[in-house]
Amino acid sequence: MQSPHLSFENVEVKYTDLVYGLGEVTLVVQSGEFVFLTGPSGAGKSTLLKLATKEVQPTSGGVLLNGREIGHVKAREVPAIRREMGIVPQDFALLPRKRVYENVAYAMRAVGNSKKEVRRRVPEILQQVHIAHRADAFPHELSGGEQQRVAIGRALVNDPPLLLADEPTGNLDPEQSWEIMDLLKELNRNGTTVVVASHDMMVVTRMGERVVSLNQGQIVADMAATSNLQDVLPMNLPNDDWPEMPLLETVPSEEENA
Amino acid sequence: MLNRIEFVISEALVALSRNRLMTLAAVSTVAVALFLFGGMGYAYYRVDKYAQTIPGKFKMLVYMRDGATKRQISDTAKQIRAMDGVSTVHLVPKGMAWEKWKIEHRSGLTEGVDNPLPDALKVVLSDLGKSERVVTSIEQLPVVAPENGVRYMKDEQNFVEGLLTILRGVGIIVGGILFVTAGMLIYNAIRLTVLSRRLEIRIMQLVGASRGTVYIPFLIEGMLQGVIGAIVASGLVVAVYAAFNWLVQTRIDAGYIASAFPYSEVIGMLCTAGATYGILCSILAVRAPLKYR
Repeated sequence: MQSPHLSFENVEVKYTDLVYGLGEVTLVVQSGEFVFLTGPSGAGKSTLLKLATKEVQPTSGGVLLNGREIGHVKAREVPAIRREMGIVPQDFALLPRKRVYENVAYAMRAVGNSKKEVRRRVPEILQQVHIAHRADAFPHELSGGEQQRVAIGRALVNDPPLLLADEPTGNLDPEQSWEIMDLLKELNRNGTTVVVASHDMMVVTRMGERVVSLNQGQIVADMAATSNLQDVLPMNLPNDDWPEMPLLETVPSEEENA
Repeated sequence: MLNRIEFVISEALVALSRNRLMTLAAVSTVAVALFLFGGMGYAYYRVDKYAQTIPGKFKMLVYMRDGATKRQISDTAKQIRAMDGVSTVHLVPKGMAWEKWKIEHRSGLTEGVDNPLPDALKVVLSDLGKSERVVTSIEQLPVVAPENGVRYMKDEQNFVEGLLTILRGVGIIVGGILFVTAGMLIYNAIRLTVLSRRLEIRIMQLVGASRGTVYIPFLIEGMLQGVIGAIVASGLVVAVYAAFNWLVQTRIDAGYIASAFPYSEVIGMLCTAGATYGILCSILAVRAPLKYR
C-alpha cells in the first residue's frame, strides 16, 4: 500500500501582489515514486521543490512531508527537515579546492558525523553513485556528469528517503544525462522517492515515469508512469529518432509563453 | 558533540585564514580601541589613585623633626592654626601613616624595615592666595623638619589634573571613535568571510547542518579577532604603565614606588571585553546572510 511522502495541498506562493510563483497547486508524491516536474522556465517547477526544501514559504496552503506539515515551521526546524531529504542543486555546488572524496566528507562532517564514520561511509557513497574511481580528482578534472554524480553522492550523506533534484541534466550532454537518470532510477529502485524538476523533455519522455507538467504556476497535466517507454528507448542509448509524445502538446513552448 | 566542536573550530580557523588583510585591520583597530578605552581607563585609575596620595591644592603636609615630642607637635599645630589663611590642622601620627603606606603599596620592600616616616600635620587652607605666605611661615617653625618639611604640591596637582583630563578626553573620544571603527571592521571582515565561504555555507545548509554548525565558526572568528586585539592592547597598557612610572619618578617624585601591576586582571578584563565585542559584531554581521534558505 502506498503512502504519501510529499504532499502539496492548495499551495500558493505569491512573491508580490503581481508576481505569483504558484497558484493553488495540489500534488501528492507517494513513497518510492519517481516524479518529473516539467514545464517551461518560470512554470513553478523549482518553486515546488523549494517549498519542499523550505527555501520558499507558502503564502497559503500546506506542504506535508511524511504527513507532517512543514510549510510554516520555524527556521530552527529547517535543518532537521533538510536531513530527511537529499538536495541536488542544478549547479552541482562542489567545493573547487576539495577532491571528490573531500566534497562528500565535508558534507558528512557538517552534519556531525565522526571521522571514523566518514571513512566508512564516503567510499560506500562514492561506489553507490559510481564515482569511486575518481575519488582523488578535483571537480575541475571531472566531466559534467561526474560532477553531478558527486553532487548526488553528497545529497546521500544523510541516507535520505527522498531525493530532490533541480534540473540535474541541465548542464549535461545527452549521454551524461542518461547516466545521471540511470543513477537516479537506480536509487529509486532501492526505495528512494525521487522528484526531479526538468525541462529536458527528451530525458523526461524516455524515462517513462510519472510526469507532472506545470505552466504559469499551475499543474496543467499529471501523467502516470508508462514503463513501456523504457522498452521502446533503452536509457543508455541516446536516440534522435523520437516518437511524438502527447506530453509535448501539453507544454507550451517558451515562444508561446512569451 | 566532539566531532561537531572539532568541525566548527576547523571551519573558524579556515575562516580566519581567508581575508588576512581585513582580519589584520580588524585586529589592529580593536587593539588600539581597547588600549585607548581600557588602557587609558586603567592609566586614569592609577593617576587618580596617585593624585589622592598627594595633598590637594588646599592641603599641605608639614613633617616634624625626628624626636619631636607630643607637646612640641601640639604647640606647632596651634601656631599653624592661628595663621591667616589656615582653616584646620590635624595630626597624622607616623605609625598610622606607615600602616597606610604599607597597605597601599603591598610590596615586599616594607618587610623588616623600621618606620621611616615622621609625624606630620595635615594643614587645610582657607585661602589659596595666602598659601605661599603660610608655607614660608611654617618652614620657619623650629619643630618642622628643615629639609622638605612642608609638602605643598600645587603645581604637581595641576599637572596631575591636566594629565587626568587628557587621559579622560583621549580615552573617551578617540577610544570611542576607534571602538566603533573596530566594530565596523570586524563586521566587514566577517561579512567578507561569509562572502568568500558562501559555497561552504550553502552546502552546509543543503545537507541540513545545524544552525550552530553554520553560525559558530563566524562567531569564533569574531571572538578571536577581539581577543587577539585585546592581547595586543594589553601589551600597550603594560608599556603605558611603565612609561607612567618613569614619568612620575623623573618629573614628580623620585621616591615614588609604583604598586604592583595587576597583569591577570587587566589582561583578563581586556580579553573579555574584546571577545564580547567581537562576538557581538559577528552576530550582527551573520544574522541576515546566514539565514537558513
